[in-house]
Amino acid sequence: MMDFLNYAINGLLLGQVYALLALGFVVIYRASKVFNFAQGELMLLGAYTVWSLSLGANLSPWLAIPIAFVAALAYGWLIERLFFSRLVGESVFSMVMVTIGLVILIRGVVLVIWGAADRQFPALLPTMPVIVGELILPTSMLVGAGVTLALTLALWYFFNRTRAGLALTAVAEDPYTAISMGIGVKRAVTLAWMLGTCIATIGAVILLNGRSLNVLSADVALAALPVALLAGLESIGGLMLAGAIVGIIQSLVAAYIDPKLGGSASSIVPFVFMLFILVVRPTGLFGWRNIERV
Amino acid sequence: MDPSGIFFTSHARDRALVRTKRQAATLALLIAALVIAPLVLSDRWVSLGYAMFITMIAVIGLQICTGYAGQVNLGQSAFMGVGAYGCALLLHYPQVPIILALLLGGAAAALFGALFGLTAARIKGFYLALTTIAAQAIFQFLVLNLPGDWLGGAGGLHLENLELLGVNLGNDRALYWLSLATLLVMTGGAFGIVRSRHGRSFEAVRDDDVAAGMMGINVAAAKARAFLVAAFYAGIAGGLWVIALRHVSVEQFTLFNSIWMIAMMIVGGLGSIVGALIGTVLIQLAREGVVSLGPQLVDLIPSAGQDIVFASMNVLLGTIIVLFLLFEPKGVMHRIEIGKRAYRLWPFPY
Repeated sequence: MMDFLNYAINGLLLGQVYALLALGFVVIYRASKVFNFAQGELMLLGAYTVWSLSLGANLSPWLAIPIAFVAALAYGWLIERLFFSRLVGESVFSMVMVTIGLVILIRGVVLVIWGAADRQFPALLPTMPVIVGELILPTSMLVGAGVTLALTLALWYFFNRTRAGLALTAVAEDPYTAISMGIGVKRAVTLAWMLGTCIATIGAVILLNGRSLNVLSADVALAALPVALLAGLESIGGLMLAGAIVGIIQSLVAAYIDPKLGGSASSIVPFVFMLFILVVRPTGLFGWRNIERV
Repeated sequence: MDPSGIFFTSHARDRALVRTKRQAATLALLIAALVIAPLVLSDRWVSLGYAMFITMIAVIGLQICTGYAGQVNLGQSAFMGVGAYGCALLLHYPQVPIILALLLGGAAAALFGALFGLTAARIKGFYLALTTIAAQAIFQFLVLNLPGDWLGGAGGLHLENLELLGVNLGNDRALYWLSLATLLVMTGGAFGIVRSRHGRSFEAVRDDDVAAGMMGINVAAAKARAFLVAAFYAGIAGGLWVIALRHVSVEQFTLFNSIWMIAMMIVGGLGSIVGALIGTVLIQLAREGVVSLGPQLVDLIPSAGQDIVFASMNVLLGTIIVLFLLFEPKGVMHRIEIGKRAYRLWPFPY
């Protein structure tokens, strides 16, 4: 029973880290209806920046992380300026295709600058687990869950209660109408991409804490996909619940089914689950239903 | 637009693939040149040639799914893998003819693809692209985790020397002709598909699926059909691939390869079969260029070592995709059409 509880709670925490990564998808989707396939690669950029600053330039983490966030803001700004500002009002199709191009482009740039070798990501958070009774909880994951909660609340407030956040939703709904209502579309999209890169960097710091970092680390964003879909791509508040569900399922499968199959069924479970969600309820738990007109 | 003096008196002639004697002659010359080419070209170009033909088949399938039916497909490489494994399994039995193995491999891939296309009954828009990522993950999982004596696990499957009509297929030139012949058949088929009722329903779904539904098109079925066709083409390409390499393993069919194919399609031009062919040639040549420039690149940026070739390939590919989407979203084919029109109208501007 204790084992089960341990697995479940660790899955819950893992799910919250997935939810954190999924927040990046949602933020960009809310502002432009663009599903950003390059979210994992944005995380990669953030992670390598943190690595360069803290281990390459030997800065203390407390200096490195703020600088990394400034850099992340700059990346977001740059990506919007270079690519998406030219596509305002174009079909969502070309924007999604551009994010697919970015997947490859950013991986290439990272490989050119930092190379393909494994790097040891600095342990900015303690690597010793917290032990409560018989429960063993990784500290970084606990911090991650806290950060996810805080970010979820802040972003929920931002998107639902502030002028700038509501403007983002208006831009996603129809950029032309938004422009004629006096909303700065480019500024809104820039803001969304900056938020997206920042969230990706936070995710990198928590997820990669003390682990090894290479280009393939970006694949973890694919694991966060089912979380974003289960919550519904528009929902910020639903992510934590969705993350908990996906995380617990994955962790229990890893604990009880993997040894029996002798394989890594747990790596595939989020995807099968994602297919299941898409077929049963395409809008996710809390997504918006759109009425389409010709 | 046709040049002046060319007009047709029947609808059938107007819709025909090859409409004038000149077009027929050009096409015949092109095919003849392609058939003769391996007799004069060096081995390296011959093997590049059949690699291109095989890729073209898969890209044509992708073009039908994405360019015509408007469904983003990130699983083309996985579909190719299913075809390759299917074909390889059948070719272990010497009594199975190669052509039958190819077709059945294609059919297996088509089934796998249609499975994901079927989710279109519930899913709209870009969510469908996400199911194709799931296809990629599930393909890898199945190959690596099914019992090793089924699909060979991580090591993959090997084939013995194959023969077709008494010709040994270990020979690059034989492979070239086999893939050229397959490509011609598949290209002809693709033109047939896109000019048929199904092709027109694909285009209607792409342009506006709500409107298409109101016109009486079964939108979900059309999307599933688009995936079926794309996966069938990918499966045939995968089968040829395994015949050419006599080895199949899971790392030949990655998401990365699917993105290469998307790049070929975008460069050639969305919604054009010929565009798919041209895009494949251009991208493969660019890729070959980077490979042959490899040693110089290593000298230029020594810090990255040998990985620089792979890295610069990524940068090149990403840049090509993004630049084309930003500045020439209709692809090279659009430029060619503009040039052709200007040539025919010369000296008049319009």
